Amino acid sequence: MRRSGGPDEPPLVLTELATGALRLAAVSRGALAVGLTPGLTLADARARIPRLVTIEHDPAADDALLELMAEDCERWTPLVALDPPHGLLLDITGCAHLFGDEAALRHRVLRRFRRAGFTVNATVAGTPDAARALARFGRAAVVPTGGEAAAARSLPVAALELPDETHVALRRAGLKRLADLMDRPSRPLSARFGAQLATRLNRVLGREDRRITPLRALPPCFVEQNFPEPLADPEDVFRVLRQLVEHAAKTMEGRGEGGRVFEASFFPSDGGVRRSRVETGRPSRDAKSILRLFREKLDTAPFDPGFGFDLIRLAVPVAEPLAATQPQLDGKALEDGELASLVDRLAARFGAARVLRFSAVDTHDPSRSEKLVPATAALPDGASWPEPEPGEPPLRPLQLFEPPLQVSVVAEVPDGPPAGFRWRRVFHHVVRVEGPERIAPEWWRDPDRPARDYYRVEDREGRRFWLFRTGLYGEAPETNWYLHGLFA
Amino acid sequence: MTSAYAELVAATNFSFLRGAAHPQQMLQTAMLLGQTGLGIADRNTVAGVVRAYSALKQLQEDGTPPIQKVREGSGPGEYAFIEHPIKGDLEVPKEELKRLAKTFKLVVGARLVFADGTPDIVTYPTDRTGWGRLCRLLTTGNRRARKGACTLYLDDLLADAADLLLIVMPERRLDGLGRTLAQAREATPGAIWLGAAMHRRGDDRRRLLRLKALAEEARVPLLAVNNVLYDTPEARDLQDIVTCIREGVTLAAAGRRLEANAERHLKPPEEMARLFRDAPEAVAETQDFLARTDFSLDQLRYHYPDEPVPLGYTAQSWLETLVWRRASFLYPNGLSRKVERLLKEELALIKELDIARYFLTIHDIVRVAEDKGILCQGRGSAANSAVCYVLGITAADPAKHDLLFARFISSQRREPPDIDVDFEHERREEIIQHIYERYGRERAGIAATVIHYRPRSAMREVGKVLGLTADVTARLASTQWGSWGNEIVDEHVRQAGVDPANPEIRRALNLASRLLGFPRHLSQHVGGFVLARGRLDEVVPIGNAAMPDRTFIEWDKDDIDALRLMKVDVLALGMLTCIRKAFELLKRYEGIDLKLNGFDPDGSDDRFKVYEMLQEADSLGVFQVESRAQMNMLPRLKPKEFYDLVIEVALVRPGPIQGDMVHPYLRRRNGLEEVVYPAPAPEHGHKNELFDVLHRTLGVPLFQEQAMRLAMVAAKFTDGDANGLRRAMATFRNVGTIHTFETKMIAGMVRRGYDPDFAKRCFEQIKGFGSYGFPESHAVSFANLVYVSSWLKCYHPAIFACALLNSQPMGFYAPAQIVRDAEAHGVEVRSVDINHSAYDCTLELCQDGALALRLGFRQVDGFSRAEGERLAQARGMGFASVEELATRGKLPAHSLRRLADADAFRSLGLDRRDALWAVRRLPDDGPLPLWAAADARELGDEPEARLPPMALGEHVAADYQTLRLSLKAHPMEILRPLFRRERIITSAELAALGHGAWARHAGVVLVRQRPGNGKAIFITLEDEAGITNVVMWESTFERFRREAMSARLLLVEGRVQKSPEGIVHLMAERAFDRTEELKRLSENHDPTIEISRADEVLRPQPPRQQATHPRNVRILPKSRDFH
Repeated sequence: MRRSGGPDEPPLVLTELATGALRLAAVSRGALAVGLTPGLTLADARARIPRLVTIEHDPAADDALLELMAEDCERWTPLVALDPPHGLLLDITGCAHLFGDEAALRHRVLRRFRRAGFTVNATVAGTPDAARALARFGRAAVVPTGGEAAAARSLPVAALELPDETHVALRRAGLKRLADLMDRPSRPLSARFGAQLATRLNRVLGREDRRITPLRALPPCFVEQNFPEPLADPEDVFRVLRQLVEHAAKTMEGRGEGGRVFEASFFPSDGGVRRSRVETGRPSRDAKSILRLFREKLDTAPFDPGFGFDLIRLAVPVAEPLAATQPQLDGKALEDGELASLVDRLAARFGAARVLRFSAVDTHDPSRSEKLVPATAALPDGASWPEPEPGEPPLRPLQLFEPPLQVSVVAEVPDGPPAGFRWRRVFHHVVRVEGPERIAPEWWRDPDRPARDYYRVEDREGRRFWLFRTGLYGEAPETNWYLHGLFA
Repeated sequence: MTSAYAELVAATNFSFLRGAAHPQQMLQTAMLLGQTGLGIADRNTVAGVVRAYSALKQLQEDGTPPIQKVREGSGPGEYAFIEHPIKGDLEVPKEELKRLAKTFKLVVGARLVFADGTPDIVTYPTDRTGWGRLCRLLTTGNRRARKGACTLYLDDLLADAADLLLIVMPERRLDGLGRTLAQAREATPGAIWLGAAMHRRGDDRRRLLRLKALAEEARVPLLAVNNVLYDTPEARDLQDIVTCIREGVTLAAAGRRLEANAERHLKPPEEMARLFRDAPEAVAETQDFLARTDFSLDQLRYHYPDEPVPLGYTAQSWLETLVWRRASFLYPNGLSRKVERLLKEELALIKELDIARYFLTIHDIVRVAEDKGILCQGRGSAANSAVCYVLGITAADPAKHDLLFARFISSQRREPPDIDVDFEHERREEIIQHIYERYGRERAGIAATVIHYRPRSAMREVGKVLGLTADVTARLASTQWGSWGNEIVDEHVRQAGVDPANPEIRRALNLASRLLGFPRHLSQHVGGFVLARGRLDEVVPIGNAAMPDRTFIEWDKDDIDALRLMKVDVLALGMLTCIRKAFELLKRYEGIDLKLNGFDPDGSDDRFKVYEMLQEADSLGVFQVESRAQMNMLPRLKPKEFYDLVIEVALVRPGPIQGDMVHPYLRRRNGLEEVVYPAPAPEHGHKNELFDVLHRTLGVPLFQEQAMRLAMVAAKFTDGDANGLRRAMATFRNVGTIHTFETKMIAGMVRRGYDPDFAKRCFEQIKGFGSYGFPESHAVSFANLVYVSSWLKCYHPAIFACALLNSQPMGFYAPAQIVRDAEAHGVEVRSVDINHSAYDCTLELCQDGALALRLGFRQVDGFSRAEGERLAQARGMGFASVEELATRGKLPAHSLRRLADADAFRSLGLDRRDALWAVRRLPDDGPLPLWAAADARELGDEPEARLPPMALGEHVAADYQTLRLSLKAHPMEILRPLFRRERIITSAELAALGHGAWARHAGVVLVRQRPGNGKAIFITLEDEAGITNVVMWESTFERFRREAMSARLLLVEGRVQKSPEGIVHLMAERAFDRTEELKRLSENHDPTIEISRADEVLRPQPPRQQATHPRNVRILPKSRDFH
């Protein structure tokens, strides 16, 4: 958890619903200090510390943060793997020398994250499992090559991360440290605690390696540029980008390929990664047009280098053989997919918030029955337009006035239908009427609004209107009539 | 225009999560609107109709609106009350209400909702036969579905729809309606209507015309209804809330699942006439419909079952025969005149009321229990009956006690008798199944319990629906902890850290308090049986319970009372199990054969030692008097005879405590206060009138019946007045009526010459009583068990401890304390061992002839009874090795590990660690045990394991983890050197200090309690020397809340308080959480110190599993809390 307030701040906890109760999912240092631990029920915690600040635990946000940190680590190595819930594995094979040595790299990583307010621990070791165990349960910084076993000797058996049952059994047997296990023949141990014990032990001791799955697959082609001083001028950034694109184009040319997707990653010195992605309709290695796409993209979204970038990388995640033929250019039939891609293109150009569509809202209130949503967004669950009842005339007009227009109406008191009404200085004689359809307000939204009695009316000329009255004569302080819509 | 109208399609809140008004409210509102009648029809159930019926009866009789009774607990008098005052400002005079009620017609039925797409059909019986048919129909649907559901098809109804009136309720779309009408008309010509409602949905008039045409075509009359869901339009919001709860959505997302408007309420007849001006005949039809039904619930004439009467006898003559026969057997030296007179009087009254069958039925059940060797004992007011005693139903001997038969049955009250019988908790199911077997499922059913929205659940659901965060909702819910307050107090809300002025919060609080008392679903009562001579399913629908082989009826105890059906409560009591087990052990090891009513607490010579033991508060494990509060009371009360135990049981109860009766009683008892009985002026009555009521409790009313008698005798309250007073007391939290009674009672007493001050004091006492008093007869029944269990503990501590352990879970204390207490009483306790233990705890004969207690496998966590029994059976001459146990004992590997974990291999010379090492080597599961053994032999030579020895502390910690107790040492004993250095003293040393001495004391926390007013917190600490009671005042608690709430090992500093009777308390001034020290026992194992079942921090909810392995963490189970 990030910075928790000063000593006077009330303890902060994150809560989640687990096994039927609201429980603490994570606690701040301050909360830990007063004895609150994850897993405790919130009610219990509050009984001990009534002044408790709670925030709902958001695992998705945690994952996103971890991913962000992982991306940030790509400045040191392209092979970064997530080790949820709060670990990262960096394969620094062949990268360490770029930053001095392994110790220097570790130092940099720690410094960077600590400065950002994280509590982190890091260990460099020969295998991911050894590094993980040592980082989580030990104190080792950089384990010399082949020294994993020696470093792991003093780790508690918990470092094997075996099932709880096995863990308790090991401790009941008096086997508390990995040394206790290492110094014994493995067969009697495996017979009692399962084959898993040997596997885990071998991995933690660095005797067995496993591959990590990096967060982002290594693209078929990527080029990057490091800067000793952060690069802040946008023009400089573009210049570097051009060099990178040209470089990549040359590489692809050698392979007889063209890129379909180009992705530029900008690593700001203050953390976080900004990415920009452009796609081309067909494989391309034309540096000029690719750059134009980037420029279009980067111009529309305000591009703020902040304190500057210390690394820019260009990757070509999707590359295809450069086709000799062009796709048809008749452009006549806009297929379904093409509408979607038009929306995508428009949204890319004007911003998702500007390309909108109507979505149904499940409510009785006609003024709220639809809303505009970004066309690219998924439709909210359960939103569907009401099915018209077979054999029934349309109950809702095509055109709605928002807000409704006040009109003067002649009607029988207290709740008779309109006999005629005046709208825009024209008096309409009502010849047909159906109603009332009484729609009560959503009391939790606007408790004071009166109910509306809607009438569908037809005047002498055959025009159809949707009128409503608010308030009843004699009951409400005042009664008003409104025109809410016109039927076709 | 005068247009008579009656709403015939009204759903109450027993249409669960659909209706939004109580049946009582619905009835009142319909009446006050001037409707001529009301038809209540809930969704496939008749669960709510009795409430409307009782409400109407009450309005007819005395013109007061009914009060709803909601059960709060299982004890007598544990009720909450919800009032249904007349809505609106208008004050309707009683006489007017009475008049309205007399002419009002209530018809009851059900709204049948079909599973085959047929529109709903509201069904009312025309007469008693029709009612039976409807009940059977619903029973069919219920029995077909799982609990709480009802699966009905139109064919079920049409197969036999005679004597039923049907209202077909059209759905939104009308296609297919014509066919349904035609089908129904064919089945019951002339008894079918088409319901039409005008809900202002836009097309109302057009639709009405279409319905009219359809009705004409089908030749059925059109009936005006409003299909109501609530009584007044203001309830729309609540109806929306319950809809959301039902659909599991928030208000914001509910959309069109809610009603568009608030039209589904009861409307005045004129309004209905106006709405139906296009079809006035439909409104008039409601009156014809009303005239067609002739059924009222009072026609459910009830007949007691008559099996138990042999040929040639009437029920009465057989009962008399039985009574006299058994009486001569019970009193071999002849009946005393008192008993004979009592029996004669009772039998005469039983004859007069014609309830002999009832007694025979209960006698029959009790006899079956006796045959099966199941202990049972009647509780409650039945213990006032000599007949019940003679029949073996109750244990209160009329020869020794003054029984008030009138409390049980009186010719005036005309209530059915109510006998509750406790059975052994482990074997009650046998009795239940016997009853089903004997009477059949058509004739026997368990009563329902209506599960109501309580403060917590109401707040939780409302919070969810309104979209409040889980945290705020939980906080609001917790403000109501344990109380049923009808109003939610701002102060509580603020204390929970929520702003009551916030409109969102206000709304949530308002809705939640209105939701209080709404039924949520039906559940089965713990053991209230209803038995009938004829088919029970023609009286009330029967449905499936969640438990297999259980069925229950749709009405709860109050409904059954209101309709005067016969019921018998088959309850479970853990202490009876314990006593039976102790009796068996006594017979086997000591050759003593005892019976539950074979004790003479006032005559036998061995009684003195028993009372001596109780006077010293040495009562751990004893029935009822083992709680901390009771243990404090015992040395003050110093019970010397049986009636003292009766008082002891009743005294430490919320009623006497809140009514401040305890101290006056104790003062009088100890001679510090004069016992006086004020008398009325001579011309108004006998000077002994109060003496008669109160002399047995030294002038202080302690029992429920005394409070009422006091009002009746001293202030000449009538029966009706007393009942009214009882009701007013129960609800005095929020009504003004109590004051009328106050004036009346004081005036009555003063008028009769009592001192006004005394009158006032009497009233205050009664008021404090509320409804929480204990009936005397109930206390007598319980006191008998107190004596029996005390006797066992006193004379046979090993047997008592053994029986107590084998009856767990029950009582206040965990096995660790029971074992510790047994050891303190000189019992040798032996550890669980594969070569000596059975599943249950057993007794072993020591060299010196004493009995030692051998712990059984039941103490081993997670070890099943079947495995334990298999092991004991296979043991033969004993197991010589682990391999032998594995092969012959046929235990799976994980069970062997559990045994090894529990250190049960000592007889093989293996301690816990060695045993585990040996056992874990056996293959997990898979191969047959034979193979496993063969394997083991093949793998025979293995290098020496050289495991480090296990330290004592580690053993103790592991003992607590696996057995929840340790015979090796108390954790505090191991930590003592450490504490000794800090000058922390043991409980024994603390007890030896004088009053006012300063002390530092530490112990593991056993119980934390915060009684009644919450001014003090009581914490019980245990160390190797015993138990210490710590009292922490609220102000101290607020400072040390964290320590008090979370510590498992608590260090307390404070002063010793010693009462003249020698009761020692440590008044805490500071507290420290020393839980960390427990880790010193073993860095590997956290000892699990089980908190008592009485702990209030822990109790309301069962311990829940933690995120990690429970065995690792289950130190003190976590829970919700008091605030």
